[in-house]
Amino acid sequence: MGATAQDPRAAGEGTGRRLRAHDAPAVAGPAATSPFSIVVADLTERFRVSSDRPPTLKERLSQFRRAEYTTFEALKGVSLQVRHGESVALIGHNGSGKSTLLKCIAGILPADEGSVSVDGRIATLLELGAGFQPDLSGRENVYLNGSILGLRRREIDAAFDSIVDFAGVRDFIDNPVRNYSSGMYVRLGFAIAVHVQPDVLLVDEVLSVGDANFQEQSLARMRSFGQAGKTVVLVSHDLNAVRALCERTVVLDHGAIVADGPTDESIAYYTYLVSGGQPDASEPVEEPTPTRTGDRGATVVDARLLVDGRRPATGEPIASGASAQLAVSFSTADERLLPAGGLTVGIVVRRPDMQLAVYETRTSWRGIYLAPPRPGAVATVTFTLDLAILSGEYLVDLLVANASTNAIHDRWLGALEFRVDSPVHEFGVARLDASIGITNPDGWWPPELHAPPEERGGPREHPLREERPSPGYEPGVPRAELLDPSGSEPGLPPMQLRDPVRPA
Amino acid sequence: MAVGTASLGDLWNSRELLRNLVAKELKVRYKGSALGFLWSLVTPLLITAVFTVVFATFIRVPLGDGNFATFFLSGYLVWQFFSNSVNSSVGAIVGNGALIRKVWFRREVLPVSLVLSQAVHFALALLATSPLFLWFRGFHPETIPALLGGFVLLVMFTTGMSMIFAAANVGFRDLQELTQVIFLAWFYLTPVIYPPFLLDDPVAQRYLPVVLANPMTWFVELFHAALYGTPVPSGVNPPPLWPDAQTWLVCAGWAVATLGIGYVLFNRLAVSFAKEV
Repeated sequence: MGATAQDPRAAGEGTGRRLRAHDAPAVAGPAATSPFSIVVADLTERFRVSSDRPPTLKERLSQFRRAEYTTFEALKGVSLQVRHGESVALIGHNGSGKSTLLKCIAGILPADEGSVSVDGRIATLLELGAGFQPDLSGRENVYLNGSILGLRRREIDAAFDSIVDFAGVRDFIDNPVRNYSSGMYVRLGFAIAVHVQPDVLLVDEVLSVGDANFQEQSLARMRSFGQAGKTVVLVSHDLNAVRALCERTVVLDHGAIVADGPTDESIAYYTYLVSGGQPDASEPVEEPTPTRTGDRGATVVDARLLVDGRRPATGEPIASGASAQLAVSFSTADERLLPAGGLTVGIVVRRPDMQLAVYETRTSWRGIYLAPPRPGAVATVTFTLDLAILSGEYLVDLLVANASTNAIHDRWLGALEFRVDSPVHEFGVARLDASIGITNPDGWWPPELHAPPEERGGPREHPLREERPSPGYEPGVPRAELLDPSGSEPGLPPMQLRDPVRPA
Repeated sequence: MAVGTASLGDLWNSRELLRNLVAKELKVRYKGSALGFLWSLVTPLLITAVFTVVFATFIRVPLGDGNFATFFLSGYLVWQFFSNSVNSSVGAIVGNGALIRKVWFRREVLPVSLVLSQAVHFALALLATSPLFLWFRGFHPETIPALLGGFVLLVMFTTGMSMIFAAANVGFRDLQELTQVIFLAWFYLTPVIYPPFLLDDPVAQRYLPVVLANPMTWFVELFHAALYGTPVPSGVNPPPLWPDAQTWLVCAGWAVATLGIGYVLFNRLAVSFAKEV
């Protein structure tokens, strides 16, 4: 029945011509004939932008009014040569033409003028999971997506385990992709794409997806491509990724190459450009970290801090040293977590003013893994904490993650906020609970003042007091009398403390 | 970008993609429905029942000792394959815009995979309804090669037409809406619910050139001959027979020409799909 698919058999596998991603993968490394892997010559790319409302059918028929377009040149005579094994970054502001250039190299867009030639098998990472079919299982999508990217069945067979492990979706591989979290979706897409084994890898802004863990993983994978002598062309706004991966960077501006050289110099020029031509511009401002991230496979539904069995009112200080219960409740939205490994719930207690994580723990660090609760059920993990921390405002971050795949289901920064008031005159973070003893033959100074009582922050009863007393002054009593050589111990005067000084 | 020269080899190399896409179409289509695959068999039977009630009871198409249900079914399966293929292909390029803008692959695989998955449904429906033909029209194994040959020509013709509609819809989006009307008119200009001899009537005669110019008439006639036989208004309807040479020639001509034109047109327009979808 496949008449169209049979005819081309006569044309053969077409050896000797330029190979594309879909050609036979029998290319043993880049061809030695040309030092260049990618040659772009005078490439001009135009897009039609409709300038006005489109003509109605009536206007089309009665006035012969054609749709009017203005032409927009996305690339204006760009020339670029990339050597075999080179890693090149394309940077530029939005609309500078960098993605268009990448698509032309990939063969997705035709050259309107000029030419593009690529030597070797191309793999493009333009969009992860493009073409995934939600109703098909992960396994079926690996084969479908792999063949869209030009992989042969036997190549996918060989790489299958590696793809699944890289994406960390082994438990879900036979579930429909519709049920995947966005993180899993993207990881699977990335895993397939990097297993294409290309000679030329084209990447567009896909490194910025996924959690930190996955970004680390994908960056490492990209680096290994470069080290294996593959040609890599990267389009990114992430200048750190560019620095990490590419020695050469090309800056595009309004469809033309304005800088092409070592990454540091190009980035310096680029930052000069984006700052509106002012030197010494700082790097583009990073986006603020979202307070709540994760794939929401499990969601924290309630978190409360209880002191003595009740919830402190907003702003009500908790006494330092109190015992508190931090109850974290979460539930799962659907069944997709059921086959996954155990879940771990973690807490971080932070002092934002000091930019300090005071305390962090996870159930998994204590060997406690939670079975994912069935949909609709609520699981609660209670951390009993000894709040041996000092005065200050504290934030609690919560985390629900999968202990086996490290998939983050819900990371909620600053989920809770509480204030601790320590009556003891101490500063810092941790209540190290110092006991103070002094050895001073001259006793304490000045003898006139009395320390506040213990309940107002004064010294507590000192355990060593009886054993190692220090003689001191009594107001109006001569020193000689106090130091009675008869050995009779005078009553110790209270310890002297100045009025407490609080941090501003 | 020497896209044209490497086309045929590239297409051959896309066969695994094509196979995966066809498998996807077949799997996805009936996902979640209780009868699943059976629908490709049940639907034509139900439609046949409706048309039989209308055209053999209310309106009474004269067919002698012939059986209207088998006559209708032998033409309707052909029509349904053609119509479903082209109608699903019209939006194939525009509907997959996200993929086309992001990944390079042979664009033909999109309409071709839809046609091939419909061809699977067609073949299954033909198999499933074969008892009806055996019972009413007798066992005629000598026409089986004619059915296979006709099937190949029909798939070629449909593939070409699907490519034309899919490519044209990128530049002229109104086509997607127009297609429904076009296909309704096309259906009535094809002798599916009426046997061709009804066009001998002096009034209907005027439309005969239009019906004969319609390629689907010839494909339907080819399957009428091989599955039903020759419909006559009264008396004995002759049993299934090998289609005549004229039908073969016209079908082959349409198949080759449409596929050729569709392929060339599609590839010429395909280079700019990524810009326009």
